[in-house]
This record gives sequence, structure tokens and C-alpha cells, in this order.
Amino acid sequence: MSIEIHSLWKRFGNFTALAGIDLEVPTGQLVALLGPSGCGKTTLLRIIAGLEIADSGSILFQGEDATRRHARERGVGFVFQHYALFQHMSVFENVAFGLRVMSRKIRPKEEAIRQRVFSLLEMVQLDWLAERYPSQLSGGQRQRIALARALAVQPKVLLLDEPFGALDTQVRKELRSWLRRLHDELHVTSVFVTHDQEEALEVADRIVVMNKGRIEQIGSPDEVYENPATPFVYQFLGNVNRFQGYAVQGWAEFGGVRQPVLEHGGDAAVEVLGYARPHEIDVKRDDEQGLLATVAHVRTLGPIVRVEMVFEGGRIQVELTRERYQADPLQVGETIRIRPRRLQVFSAEQAAEAVTGAEG
Amino acid sequence: MATIAAAIVADSPRRVTEEGPWVRGLLLAIALGFMALFLWLPVSLVFTEALRKGVGIYLAAITEPDALAAIRLTLLAATIAVPLNLIFGLAAAWVIARFDFPGKGLLVTLIDLPFAISPVIAGLIYVLMFGAQGWFGPWLAEHGIRIVFAVPGIVLATVFVTFPFIARELIPLMQAQGKDEEEAAILLGASGWQMFWRVTLPNIRWGLLYGVILCTARALGEFGAVSVVSGHIRGLTNTLPLHVEILYNEYNSVAAFACASLLTLLALVMLAAKTFVQWRIDHPGNRV
Repeated sequence: MSIEIHSLWKRFGNFTALAGIDLEVPTGQLVALLGPSGCGKTTLLRIIAGLEIADSGSILFQGEDATRRHARERGVGFVFQHYALFQHMSVFENVAFGLRVMSRKIRPKEEAIRQRVFSLLEMVQLDWLAERYPSQLSGGQRQRIALARALAVQPKVLLLDEPFGALDTQVRKELRSWLRRLHDELHVTSVFVTHDQEEALEVADRIVVMNKGRIEQIGSPDEVYENPATPFVYQFLGNVNRFQGYAVQGWAEFGGVRQPVLEHGGDAAVEVLGYARPHEIDVKRDDEQGLLATVAHVRTLGPIVRVEMVFEGGRIQVELTRERYQADPLQVGETIRIRPRRLQVFSAEQAAEAVTGAEG
Repeated sequence: MATIAAAIVADSPRRVTEEGPWVRGLLLAIALGFMALFLWLPVSLVFTEALRKGVGIYLAAITEPDALAAIRLTLLAATIAVPLNLIFGLAAAWVIARFDFPGKGLLVTLIDLPFAISPVIAGLIYVLMFGAQGWFGPWLAEHGIRIVFAVPGIVLATVFVTFPFIARELIPLMQAQGKDEEEAAILLGASGWQMFWRVTLPNIRWGLLYGVILCTARALGEFGAVSVVSGHIRGLTNTLPLHVEILYNEYNSVAAFACASLLTLLALVMLAAKTFVQWRIDHPGNRV
């Protein structure tokens, strides 16, 4: 089932949680709502579920207006960050809950409930825990039970609110790829909320980057990572280096590194900022061009080596592959030349906005 | 500095919050001595005084008609007051824990009012409202309804002094549990009633029971407020605590202590029940 959202607004007192959200989620896609805390992503998810009511705007399920529909009748499965399993019920009863509360006419027979619950428990690979209680399970197990419970009523839409937020890194990584595989089997339209860019990049078909109640960019993981639409998206999706420069007559210049730009075709020089990821920077000893920098720190992080340098524009982080680094190691204190292979150019005003956004 | 630090570390294997053995001994002696003097001694005195003239006299004292009437009235007042406060407590706790509304802080404060004011004043409020000279007095007299110096007044006074117990117990519990489970139930298709019976109530049942026990204990033992509205009519408006007072004032100390021992026994039963429920709250993993 597809979801359409039109100009959704939501305020809590003086705080604007959502400021005009427009979004389409096509049937069968797995979409991530990504943003810092307080950006409105959870509020948006809760409005889709019917747990909060928007001040204005509309939500359509499969083209039908569902804005005023009660949460009970929306047919959405919801997975909470802190699982929200029923503490006093066994795992079996938790999963069976949605079937047991159906009206007598459509409620399955006891045997059918049993079969359905066990097939769901097998799907999440926890059928051996049916008689346990939530307090006896680990966090990862609880979240898988919560997912089985949400799927028991065959929802048309699955909504997940920071589903792995309360788990250890290791468990989180396992569950992530497991969720992706599960989605490939079930193809339920799914929206999940996360503040972890790595999680969004790994799991989602599409990423919706949010900031201060607005959508900054919608795109595939590759698109948002490779071509961030705003400085905020650039900063939020990984580490970034910023270079100060100016643009004139269609060219941007950053202390000797020049690059053509689409905007700023005029004759007056405009202050601009160039963004580059740590792995997009070349380091050379014998280069006439490029920026002079001094090596301040070298740290090996598994397969990559992170080098911190100081140059006249501030500090900069460069990531090299281990092989590349070992072929020609750098000495702390050494002066070398750096040159970004590619810079994304934003105007100074755009960049200033992104900084305040990241704090909020 | 370094040597001092090393010396402290070497000399203090026990935790920083632990005191020396003689401090512990002194604290224990004070606590136990105090309890013996003010708790165990009086309670055991109640039973020895009650049984001073033998079991026969004791039984006669608690089975004479006025005593039985007092027991019945006490139980009646508790039987009405506790369910009423159960409903009120649940409703108040739900509203306070789940919703935000203007005046919420005031409501929370008002719930504590019966704890704060003297029970005698609570009794007087009802006399001023429903007594012969009270606000509703003339109207009630016209219709032949008696509230003050009758059973309804006793029930009202009991409800008033016991109403914070259940609400007080539930509000922090429901606030701590949050509404995630209830939201999950609704999203899975449960109706409001199904959510309440299958999710909300099971989650708060031990806290609720704890509140009910405290409420019952207080309802059975209430003296001040009930005394003001009762009128002390033997066999009609005397509750057990009031009956004890009357007997004692008549120098019938054996009968007074016999009835007092009944109240004490009830209190001990409530204490045992409270301890069990408290244990269940603290050990939610153990399932019966």
C-alpha cells in the first residue's frame, strides 16, 4: 500500500515539529526517515500511524484519505524503540494479541491462531521462546518478537520507530541486515526512523533526510551520499572537510585548487565553501599545486588510516586505504600537499544555515 | 599527598558508605529499642489486657450485639468506600498519567488534601454541609433524608479520608510505565475496553492491590472524621474504633481491649497482605 503525505504541519506549543512535509512512499518500498533528534521524524511516523494528529495537511493510504481514520483502523504495524511488549503476557500471547482482539466474526479459530503465531515465530527464528516472558529475553530477541507481533495482523504498512536504537552495536548490525532480508521477502511498505546514517544507508531503498521539521532531501542511498542537496545533508551523512574559497565567472577557487561551478557566473567574487569527504582527498609530497598542510595525527582504524592535518583554513581529515598508506607512510609534523579530487560547492549562507540546523 | 592517599586505600577495605561496627550496633540498638517500646509493647499489651479475664469474657465482649453492630458498620463503610475510591483512583491516575491539561498540578495537589488536613475537619465539613444547620440541612430534613449522625455520613467521611491512597499509588506507577504498551494494543486493533482489561489493568494490578490494602486498612481504622459525623448511637452509628472508645470511657477495659484486639488483628492481616504485594511488585519475574 502506498502512502502519500501532503503539506503536513504539527506544532507542540511554540515548537514546530513538522513544517509542511510532502512525501510519497511507493508500495513495497523500505524508506528511512533520517535526521538528528528533534527534527520531527518520529512525530511524522506517529502521525502516519495515527498516534498523533496533525494540525493541518493530509495523509493518503493507497490514494484514499486516511487523515481522520483512527489508529485502530489504519492497518499499520508499529514497532517501538523500547519494544512495548506486553510484560505480563508470554511471547506467544504477545504475538497472538492482534488476532485475539478481533471481533468474533473475523477472529480465527484457536488452532489457526496457534499456527499463525508459530509461523511468525519461526520467521523471526524464535519459536523456541514461545512460553517465555518479555523480561526473560535479550533486547534483540524482544525487538524481533515486537516485529512478529506487528506482522501478525498482516498490516499493509509497517512503521518502525528507531527499531535498533536501544541495542548494542553488534546486535544492531545483525538485525539491520536481517530486517533488509525480511523486507525483501515480505515487500510490506515500510517506513523506519533512525538518526544513524549508516543504518539508513545500509537498509533503506530510499532515504528522507529531515532537519528542523522539513525535508532536506529525498533520494536513494547513493544519491544522498554522493550528491547531497544541502550542506546539512552533506554534514549529516558522514564526516566532511570544509574549504573556504570564492567563486567568480563560473569558477570556484580554493587556495590554488580550481573547479568549474554552475552558479556564480557573475564578475563579482562570492564567498563559497567547498565540501569534500575524507576519502575524496589526495595526499602528495611532490606536487606544485594543492594546499600546504602539516600532518598532526595518524590513526589506523581497521582497513583505513585516518590522517589529521592542519592547514591555513583549519583542520582537515583524510582517509587513506591501509595499502596506500603503507606504501608511503606519512610522518607527524611533515608538510605535504593536499588536493580534493572533488568538491561540492555551496554558498556561505547555505552553509551557515546547515550549522544552526545541526545543532537543533 | 601520595602517601596519605595510599594509606587511606590500604586502611579501608569496606565501602565508603559503611560505618564501623560500633556505629552499626548503636543504630541497631536505637531502632530495635524504639520499636520495642513504642510498637511491640503496646500491641502485645492490647492482647494481654483483652485476655486478662479469660477467653470466655473475651468472646462475650466481641459477640455482644453492640459490638457486632459496630463490626458490621465498620465493614460496611469499608466495603462502600474502597470500591468508590478504586474507581476514583483509577480515573484520576489515568487522567493525570496519560493526559496534559491545564490545572493538572492543582488536581494532583488536591488529591493529597485528605492527607494534609486533620480528620476532625473532614468530619466537620460534612456536618456543615449536611447537618441540621448546614447548607443542605433544611432540604434534606424536608425529604426525610439523614446523612449526619447516620450511616451515610460515616460512609462519606470514610470515603473522604481514604481517597488519596489508590490514586497516590497508581499515578507514579502509570507515569513510569508510559503509554507505549497501550498504543501498541490500539494499533493491533484493540478497542478501548480491550486495551484496559488486557493491557492497562494487568500492568498496574499489584500497585492497585497495594493501594486497595492501604485504603482498606485506613477505612477500618478511621476514628477522627467518623467520630464527628457519627453521633455515637450504640448499635446504630458506632464503628469499631468508636465502640472501643465508648467502652474504655465506661471503664470496661477488658471489652475495650477485646474490640481493640480485633482491630489490631485486622491491621496485622492487612500488613501481611501489603508485605506480600510489595514483594510481588519488587519481584515481577516470579510468576505464580
